[in-house]
Amino acid sequence: MKIQSYRLLQFLNKALVYLVLTFFALVMVFPFLYMLTTSFKLPADTFRYPPRLMPRDPASVTVAGFEEPLPLYHVEVDGQQKEYALAKSNIKVGVYAPANDTAATVDRFVDEVTPTDKTVSVAGKDEKLYDVTVDGQVVSMIQISQTTVGEFIDPKNPENKAYQNVRKSEPVESISAHPENYTRVAELNNMNRALTNTALVTILVVLGQLATSVIGGYAFARLRFPGRDTVFVFYLGTIMIPFVMLIVPLYQLMVLIGWTDHLAALIVPWIFTAYGTFLMRQHFITFPKEIEEAALLDGATRMQILTNILIPASVPALATQATFTFLYAWNSFIWPLVIINVGNEKNHVLTLALNVLRGRASDTPNLILAGAAIAIIPPLIVFILGQRFFVESVASSGVKG
Amino acid sequence: MTIHSQIDSRTNLILKVSIVWRGVFALLSAAGAIFLWFGALLPEAPLWQKVLITAVLAIASVFSAIGAVQISRRNHSGRMISLALDYLAFVTCIVIALNTGEVFIGIDALAETFTSGLPYLGIVALGYFLSVMDEYFPQKQLGAETSLKVTSRWVMLGGFVLFLLQVGAIKGILYFLGKLAQPLGLASVAGIAIFGFFLWAIGRSESAQALHVKTNHEQILSGWLFLSPNLLGFLIFFAGPLVLSFYFSFTDSDAINTPNWVGFANYAKILNVRFAMLSSPTQLAKEVVDIKIYDEVGRFIFGNSGILFAAADKFFWLALRNTLTFGLFAVPLSVIPALILSNVLNSKLPGMKFYRAIYFMPSIAAVVGISLVWQWLYNATIGYINYFITLGIEFWNNLFNLAVVDPKIQWVSDEKTALFAVIIIAAWQTMGFNTVLFLAGLQNIPGELYEAATVDGAGPWDKFWSITLPMLAPTTFYVVSTTTIQAMQVFEHVFILMNPPEGPNNSTITLVLYLYRSGFQNFKQGYASAIAWVLFIVIFGLTLVQFQQQRKSSIYES
Repeated sequence: MKIQSYRLLQFLNKALVYLVLTFFALVMVFPFLYMLTTSFKLPADTFRYPPRLMPRDPASVTVAGFEEPLPLYHVEVDGQQKEYALAKSNIKVGVYAPANDTAATVDRFVDEVTPTDKTVSVAGKDEKLYDVTVDGQVVSMIQISQTTVGEFIDPKNPENKAYQNVRKSEPVESISAHPENYTRVAELNNMNRALTNTALVTILVVLGQLATSVIGGYAFARLRFPGRDTVFVFYLGTIMIPFVMLIVPLYQLMVLIGWTDHLAALIVPWIFTAYGTFLMRQHFITFPKEIEEAALLDGATRMQILTNILIPASVPALATQATFTFLYAWNSFIWPLVIINVGNEKNHVLTLALNVLRGRASDTPNLILAGAAIAIIPPLIVFILGQRFFVESVASSGVKG
Repeated sequence: MTIHSQIDSRTNLILKVSIVWRGVFALLSAAGAIFLWFGALLPEAPLWQKVLITAVLAIASVFSAIGAVQISRRNHSGRMISLALDYLAFVTCIVIALNTGEVFIGIDALAETFTSGLPYLGIVALGYFLSVMDEYFPQKQLGAETSLKVTSRWVMLGGFVLFLLQVGAIKGILYFLGKLAQPLGLASVAGIAIFGFFLWAIGRSESAQALHVKTNHEQILSGWLFLSPNLLGFLIFFAGPLVLSFYFSFTDSDAINTPNWVGFANYAKILNVRFAMLSSPTQLAKEVVDIKIYDEVGRFIFGNSGILFAAADKFFWLALRNTLTFGLFAVPLSVIPALILSNVLNSKLPGMKFYRAIYFMPSIAAVVGISLVWQWLYNATIGYINYFITLGIEFWNNLFNLAVVDPKIQWVSDEKTALFAVIIIAAWQTMGFNTVLFLAGLQNIPGELYEAATVDGAGPWDKFWSITLPMLAPTTFYVVSTTTIQAMQVFEHVFILMNPPEGPNNSTITLVLYLYRSGFQNFKQGYASAIAWVLFIVIFGLTLVQFQQQRKSSIYES
């Protein structure tokens, strides 16, 4: 008994763990899911309430005798739900009743009744009289109200007709996707160029930063020279300083050397980082010194040791730093916003293009979210590829502090 | 004396020329510094640039003179000074040549043709793939392996050359040479040649021997050489601007005109505040403060009276209030759930790595993109958030027969909820990152502690309070302080989510947003720099407080 209840408790415990984790996982994933599915929708579909996740298209069918395909709707015929095609809309229907008994109404198409010149006074108002045929007899009636309906036909047998309000009818829909949203947003907002710019900036920043921090980190870790430790402490002290501190003087520096509005301003200042150098130093210092000393005795230069021994052995550390830098460069916004003019669209990076798109396509969420997806998906792919290195190293950097 | 006799005549000549060169270098630098102030060189440069250039030239001049003396004394420090000065000048000339030839600006042109060259980069990738392939060959087929290696190298090289041709390398080089053919460009090329020659002349081992260089000097030189790209870039793009930022905060710099020194005026304006007693809660501000100078920021009401808080720059204080409020909510909201989640994740059940990866996703996506997505989730009429709230309320109403009214929150256009909407996004985005950090901290806690506690009869709750939390204190400090530092710089979320960015009735104006607005929309860059330093002091102060808190609480560390 006791063991059984213990097992049950353990099972419940596990179930609870997975329940909590799955709930939070859904919270984390939902906005991404929403972004993706909405980016494949038609504009009208995005404004539907209640909202639906999957993109849907109204279904249509070709019916003999009609040139264009007709939209399909759910129609109730003789108490049964059927899928009929809308053949004609805006057919006027009047509700008619005898002047003395306004409760006994009949529905007739407006062009089936004949208006007369006579009027009748109902509740102090003059109402026009119409000749309405009821059960083969012509009766004089007043019009109580008027609406419009659509003519729905059975696609298989166009003789079967049904009439009902179009706006209140549920269209038949099928799940679909509109990838052309992506090409449209690329044309509308020069996203292609922004993607190229972002990729180019990111590649150059990653390569440049790896190069300077690898050799700098090596100097800090392995070479003894006066002033090294002072400089290192100086580097460490600046890691905490937020970038916004530099934004004004860096902008003026860019004005001075004429780099404003150019991609160079997004690349060169980011190549030299104290943090990256610090990380590389921390990595190289764990490396056994003996291998290096042996190589030095064999007459290898420092540069040869670095390129032939240390770098090949440091691929995980380099990959981690590359991923970090990739994300930082790809996602940066405030610096491009400051340095690249709004009008200079050919030098926009993705984040800037999104900022412009936000205003330009404010009534088409499908396009905006397609743009957002273009900016978000490449880092996600990089993350999935480098996940193993990346998450582990975030974890270890946190512990070391 | 014995070494002296070993010096061949060529080295002797080189050393003599080098001494003369150091003298010329010293004189030219000194002349440049003097000419900068009394001549027509750079007449429109602002003061800080003149001071900076003079300082650099003066130092170069003095050191060059010392170098000349030391080389003539055959002292090795002369070689060090000589190499350092010539190296710096050499690098400067290269950068000037590249900039005059518009190489840096030319990256824009590369972006234009980059996509057309992508197929050729594909060839490079193919070559790389081939070179990796050779690892799969068994050792016996050594010939095949090396030929594959050679082939792959050629394929990569060929692909890259084709790529360069496709993106217009030839056109680029011709353009570069054309641009270089102007006085500054030619001068820098000449500089490269001269400084390069003297680098070689003094650097060669015969000269080193003649100057009695010790063995450890090579390490010193290569140390500085290896560090130099990073250090120079760091000085120019980080440390220098940092000092400049401090200087600008005491000026009225506007990015166009020469800045004037204004002393503490910027800081005085930021900190110029007034508190005034109100005789009634609704008393007008103009009755208690001079509204020509002060704007009402807020009022604190106690019963029938109150205190009015007014400031010369009300936006700064609103921004500070919003930023601190943001931090006050966003930090706990992203730290506490992360702490709980990490403890759940730490149960060694299958699939935990999958969940960990999922939680990490939001923190790698661009804030700009994320904010756009949430903007539509927050939409008051068709957004999912209000839809979920509606569903929830309907569910509870049906379950308990209540009549709770659906609030239909206008998330971003209501000043009461706007900041909170931003807080939710930020918490959502940083939570996963913090979870991973906590998880790493948890995995470092030795399991014996828990085992011992179990033997002593402690329940899971006791273990959490008495073992997990104290042992996790360093991680918690790291998580809380980095999250706080980030929160104090909140900008992108509000900039994208809100329209206008400062939100309804300035309810989402933040310090960085105000800094951006002052510096880059109103171009009061001196004032913006002062805001930056106040922001830094706020961040520094908060981190310091947290650090002391951590030192107090982490008694278990020792």
